Amino acid sequence: MPRSLQDEMKQSPYERMLQECVRGELRIVNAGLPKSQERLSNLLNEKYPHVVCHDGSTHFFKKSELEYLASMLDTDEQKALPLPMLIELGANQAEAAIICEGKVEEKIISKALSMPVTCEQRRIRIYKPQLALLRRKLKTTTVYVFSPKTVA
Amino acid sequence: MPGLIKVRPTKIELVKLKRRLTLAQRVQKIVKDRLSILTMEFLQTARDTVEAKRKLLDESSQLYKALSIAAGYHGYIAMEKELIATEADLKVTAGSRNIAGVRIPSFELMDNGKPMRGYNLVDTSSWLDRAAQLSEECLRAIVELAELQRNFELLAMEINRTKRITNALEYIIIPGLQATINYLNMKFEERDREEKARLKRVKVLVARG
Repeated sequence: MPRSLQDEMKQSPYERMLQECVRGELRIVNAGLPKSQERLSNLLNEKYPHVVCHDGSTHFFKKSELEYLASMLDTDEQKALPLPMLIELGANQAEAAIICEGKVEEKIISKALSMPVTCEQRRIRIYKPQLALLRRKLKTTTVYVFSPKTVA
Repeated sequence: MPGLIKVRPTKIELVKLKRRLTLAQRVQKIVKDRLSILTMEFLQTARDTVEAKRKLLDESSQLYKALSIAAGYHGYIAMEKELIATEADLKVTAGSRNIAGVRIPSFELMDNGKPMRGYNLVDTSSWLDRAAQLSEECLRAIVELAELQRNFELLAMEINRTKRITNALEYIIIPGLQATINYLNMKFEERDREEKARLKRVKVLVARG
């Protein structure tokens, strides 16, 4: 019998319940994560712009928000911007990180927050007050990610 | 005072309890993170709701004023005759999105795709244009307010539920585990002391005898 399975069997019901609670909470908070991100240029052409989430539900984008993003970018940048943008919550409760692929996200965030931001190791780090401001402007085009690594 | 958990006072149980404590603290961390995000979103929604309500009231009062002026200028019968042609179906896109595990609705008023409002521009004045424009803005504000108020309710309910879990962990489960671990540690120390005293006594007896 594999060792991990033996350990699992040794766990008491209480421990299993807590373990399930951790898993359940992570499952709940990350249920809204999209299966795959869509490019802004594709979403602009859709009648009802949306992506499918991990739990099978759909995440709708507001057209007004997509148009707001499109107004800040040129055609090539629109093709490069994946949506929804993922906001990773760190172990440090005071800050959050926006997962980014390139310079496009940097441009969007700096324009939305009206301040310069830099991308380091594919993350743009922002503080809680800035996060609130960003979420106010980009409600449907951003989603939260709770990472077990960062919360542990 | 947190209650002690009934366990056998053995070293294995102590190890198990410590493992349970680590797990409980991990759950607490996740739940607290989630609660802080939900609270932030709730406060933002509350602010937006107040703003949207104020905007709707302002726009409604402006609309009624503009409509009264237009009615006074054209007369009710003439205005109603013109407005019959403007009737159109409203299209609202309804979807949903997820905020930290809470599924909330999302509404958006769609454009009907008509460049003109439908009434005769020659026979009507700019007062009617103004009233029509304000009524469109009012409709948009109503849809926005509907979304915000539902979000507000759902977030509040989820915050209540999450708070209950956090409180249970913070005030019952974790203190109970810590108290039991402390009790077991004290019990083992007491056993060690008893053991030492017994050994000393045996040593004395052996030396005497």
